[in-house]
Amino acid sequence: MSGRRDKRTTVLSVLAVVLPLALSLVALNVGAYRIPPQAVFTTVAEAVFPGGDGSGPSPYADILFRVRLPRLLLALFAGAALAVSGASLQALFRNPLVFEFSLGISNGAAFGAALSLVFLGRGFPPQPAAFVFALLAVLLVVAIAGRSASQVVTILLAGVIVSALFQALLSLVEVFANPYALQSLVFWLMGSLGQATWKDLAVTLPVIGAGVTVLILMRWRLNVLSLGEEEARSLGLDTTRDKIAVIALAALVTAGATAVMGVVSWVGLIVPHLVRMAVGADNRKVVPLSAGYGAALLLLADTIARGAAPFEIPVGILTSVVGIPFFIVLLKKSGRIWL
Amino acid sequence: MKVRVEGLEFSYGAFSLRVPGLAFAEGRLTALVGPNGAGKSTFLKCLASVIPPGRGTVFVDGRDVAGLPGRERARLVGYVPQEPASTFNYSVLDFVLTGRAAFIPVFSSPARRDDEAAREALRFVGLEDFGPRPVFALSSGERRLALIARTLAQQSAVLLLDEPTTFLDPRHETEVMELVKRLAVERGKTVVVSLHALDMALKFADDMVFMKGGAVVAAGRPDDILDEALLRSVYDIPMGLRNVDGTRIVVR
Amino acid sequence: MNPARTARTAALLAWIALAVLRFPAPVGAAGQVPAPTTVVDSLNRSVSVPGKIGRIISLEPEITRIIVALGAGDRLVGIDYFLKHHDHLFPLVFPEGLKLPLVSNQAQDLSLEEAVRLHPDVVFASPSEFRMAESIERKLAVPVVALASMGRFAGLIGEIETLGRILGREERAAELVAFFQERLRALDRSASPDPPGERPSVYLAFWNSLVRTPVSYEPVDAAGGRNAASGVLPEYLGAAGATISIETLIAWDPEVILVQGNYPPEERRVSVGTVLRDPRLASLRAVRSGRVHYTFGFWYWWDPALVLVETVYLSGLLRPGAPAGPGLVATGDVIFKEFYGVEGAFSALCRILDCHEWTAR
Repeated sequence: MSGRRDKRTTVLSVLAVVLPLALSLVALNVGAYRIPPQAVFTTVAEAVFPGGDGSGPSPYADILFRVRLPRLLLALFAGAALAVSGASLQALFRNPLVFEFSLGISNGAAFGAALSLVFLGRGFPPQPAAFVFALLAVLLVVAIAGRSASQVVTILLAGVIVSALFQALLSLVEVFANPYALQSLVFWLMGSLGQATWKDLAVTLPVIGAGVTVLILMRWRLNVLSLGEEEARSLGLDTTRDKIAVIALAALVTAGATAVMGVVSWVGLIVPHLVRMAVGADNRKVVPLSAGYGAALLLLADTIARGAAPFEIPVGILTSVVGIPFFIVLLKKSGRIWL
Repeated sequence: MKVRVEGLEFSYGAFSLRVPGLAFAEGRLTALVGPNGAGKSTFLKCLASVIPPGRGTVFVDGRDVAGLPGRERARLVGYVPQEPASTFNYSVLDFVLTGRAAFIPVFSSPARRDDEAAREALRFVGLEDFGPRPVFALSSGERRLALIARTLAQQSAVLLLDEPTTFLDPRHETEVMELVKRLAVERGKTVVVSLHALDMALKFADDMVFMKGGAVVAAGRPDDILDEALLRSVYDIPMGLRNVDGTRIVVR
Repeated sequence: MNPARTARTAALLAWIALAVLRFPAPVGAAGQVPAPTTVVDSLNRSVSVPGKIGRIISLEPEITRIIVALGAGDRLVGIDYFLKHHDHLFPLVFPEGLKLPLVSNQAQDLSLEEAVRLHPDVVFASPSEFRMAESIERKLAVPVVALASMGRFAGLIGEIETLGRILGREERAAELVAFFQERLRALDRSASPDPPGERPSVYLAFWNSLVRTPVSYEPVDAAGGRNAASGVLPEYLGAAGATISIETLIAWDPEVILVQGNYPPEERRVSVGTVLRDPRLASLRAVRSGRVHYTFGFWYWWDPALVLVETVYLSGLLRPGAPAGPGLVATGDVIFKEFYGVEGAFSALCRILDCHEWTAR
């Protein structure tokens, strides 16, 4: 039986790398502007091995490298970020139903971006403010939980409170926004990867890359942390420091993604859960595999979101349509694990 | 390694634990007994630094454990909790591996020697074939053994076990106590076990500590301190001591 | 000129009626209470409004503007949030309206307390929320009429006529409608006939975004263009906005790109400049040929005069062969004078929106 498990793990590990790559190839070929696969190949080849005649701005190159490629990379990175963040938070809070949403991170980022869009106006990108407020949200959660921060329930309750707080603040911003800024804001909140340019990604991708890497490095430590505060401490861990590190990293990568694409949810819940069902709970496997499958899932969702109809379906709606029923099923089945 | 307690105090609400002085010798099994609410669990947790005492010091091999970083303290003192609350269905091997936390830096994963330590611990408790099984599939006796194996993987010189025999049937009770005794006798560890069942204590303990109401009522070798008056004062009901086939047992 | 004439006519008719029916003549010839009018609004609701409307609350800027154009602006007893705080046009054509009490909040929700205090005879609302009209009617016991043009001239004309009927200003309404239609016909006449296939494709970047566009925007059609986004959403949704992807825009490769320009310049996130400089759009025909322009645009509601000016302006853009007439600014001023009776309103608006460059032709 263990042999079968190991084999399954190997296959899934390979797939976790192959699937995002394969989907990337597909995504490069999908779009409203028809580019024959051969042209995709030659355009990419020419970019990698320059030697072309440089005959003016070719729409193929523009579309592939300025429109599809940044969007593709964002989907991969953001998907990995959300999935890894979800897996880490679930281990830390010993609850498979926790994800970045529960700590107010998503709403904090949304509020920060809103504030920036409304008061700093069109010239200023919303990303830095989203960062700042996502981290602020987590600090608030820790502060509210206070001395009982070690209690699982307290952190979750504090997360709910902070989420609600930022939601209310967001509504307040909408009330005071002039109608022009409100337009951009409402549009951004729907959650779409289509607005990202290379300028946005120049900051977001490295941040997500670094954060996800560190979380993957800490994957075994998550096993120990998932035993609970007392036991982890008895085994020699500085639980306070480790918890803060994990939460801050999860907040960082989530904010990085949210700042550029708006609120896209449920990836951090669905992917780690499916991975655990397939390979078991050991975070040495769960965290890296979540990164790969999270990237694949968001890329798939986004490719559908832009390919299915001439108008854009906000990708957050797609992930919700899948995620919410999933969540309900999990709630009903996980009787003894749920609080 | 010797464990010495000096002036330990801990308060929680109306409950107050006070242990002015106590020592545990190495290579010996000490049984911590007393009625419910006596403070046995709390005392063990203080010894393990799972909860920080309000006042007082715990010395292990002459060193103040409060001053040690967690990693080092964990290599000295291992703590087996009453009931492991595991949300996730790890394999038994992965579960036992977490005992190696003190040896594995934050960005690393277990190495070969950690793997070997975990397997050795599983062998010692008799679960060597259980490695790949999921923990939720174990019986409560087996889970208790896995928990002990985890603490064994820590390779600490001191072992503190909080009521390891509760809810076990007689066979498993005996198994666990024999195991724990071997740790003291064969491996020279300092073992402290809190127990409800006096029989087990009488059968296996080298030393006993009686607690009541947060204070130590008596401590020493069973032969030296055990009598019916002590039992009555600790447990508030008349108890008798009998000698059956060379073994001392308690009757009510 | 009109109220006096109407009063005289009514008096004459009343006198004749009295003579025929031998009733004792009431003091004040126009004292008979007119029968209530029934209208069908944009939500297909049949609403009965009093025959004589003296006090009006309008929650929709489009409707308010038509009311002012119909000469019934003095009957307004309240003003909505957008017109009070964010509109550039209203202070130019009806400045006294800004002194009216505020009756709605940022979301254009009616303040019921204010409404009760002002006791209107009728409330005009947007049809975008069905329940709102019903709920206001229930709570205030005042008829609520929901009207909107939804980006269609037919809708706009219908609105003007309905409001004319409700307010007893049918003649004035007919005047405005005739003026409107005549101007449109004049545009048609002055253009060389375009076979449908040769109409330039036009993409509208509205609502401060490059990727949000109305799938149906009649000024473009009337001016001889073809909306590149037509067909993305069902036609009956009118000027509802669709969100597309940049790639779709590139695939459409429109000949002309129009950017909504009735935002003050400092609020514009998308401008002609940003479109021309966007590296992703470098290969588009419109970008390469420099055919990226501002237009006034549709802020979920129109101004009846401005939309006419816009159509004239677009006609000049999209049919460059048309014979030159008076400049756009002059034409705009004429149109605004016809609707609102003020001089130089369009020139003033142009200064505020910084649109002299784009209306220079």
